[in-house]
Amino acid sequence: MNKFLQSIAANSWVELAARWILGLTFIYASFHKILSPADFAKIIYGYDLFPAALINLMAITIPFVELTTGLALVLGIYPRSAALIINAMLLGFIVALSINLVRGHEFDCGCFSAAQGGYTPSAWVLLGRDFLLLAVGLQIFFYYTSMKGRLAAISQDTAAQSQQK
Amino acid sequence: MKKLVKEITILLGIAVGLSLAVNFFSPVGIALVGRWDTSEGVITANAKNDVVMDELEIDDAKTARQIYDSGAALFVDARSRENYEDGHIPGAVSLPVGQFDEQIDSFLSKHAPEQPIVTYCSGRSCEDSHNLAQILLESGFVNVRVFIDGLPGWEAEGYPVE
Repeated sequence: MNKFLQSIAANSWVELAARWILGLTFIYASFHKILSPADFAKIIYGYDLFPAALINLMAITIPFVELTTGLALVLGIYPRSAALIINAMLLGFIVALSINLVRGHEFDCGCFSAAQGGYTPSAWVLLGRDFLLLAVGLQIFFYYTSMKGRLAAISQDTAAQSQQK
Repeated sequence: MKKLVKEITILLGIAVGLSLAVNFFSPVGIALVGRWDTSEGVITANAKNDVVMDELEIDDAKTARQIYDSGAALFVDARSRENYEDGHIPGAVSLPVGQFDEQIDSFLSKHAPEQPIVTYCSGRSCEDSHNLAQILLESGFVNVRVFIDGLPGWEAEGYPVE
């Protein structure tokens, strides 16, 4: 199993697919938030987790963090760091959703679902989706971490060979 | 590790800088701090295109009740049809803000533009009543107000619900 996971983490085709899937997902997710920051601020308010002074700043910055890291992944710029930021955000979403699941918190008016065309997926579906995306993000992170390991091993090998000569 | 910190700083710096710049110039941009305390009124992100208009607001249930008892104003429920059927202020008519376009013609045929209107929804965490008030004003109605405590505020005073 461990070997299997390692082979997935080391596969460059999986890494390319993972970067595109995660990158495009985050670029797509950022659009409606950038187009209507006031609606997104209300959604953050609806989570009932954050101090009032931070809600607007979160609504302004989070979509652009999503857009920037998503673009970075698709273009392959700083992929390891972009994946790390995205993983941190996904963990944040997972924690926020879980807290509201555990305390059975529901939004108190229809205002939030109206913004999503009346369709609100259940928190369990959202959680499952976040965990899937997190797995994809971890693949990218470990691909570059293990690649660094492999590069280090190769350079050690060559250093050892040149010493033998 | 050092490289990682540098890259993350660059990525986040670009994102935050870009976000503040876009928000500053965007016609739908929001203030850096919103109003998220319901004791101060209807919650709002204080966007440039905000629909929350304080001057239209009726912010206590007793005033709303006086207007209601005078019989002069038509109460209009901005919530969904299902919420309306579950319970509403007696005599209020349903005009869900999401179905405004389909229902405005029959609404216009029944009510003159001079008809005083009071809109409401689910209280201060909900801006549907403000949305409705704004599009009613745009449709030609001249006397529109918003009862911001909505049905929960009405019920809390022990006023009748049907």
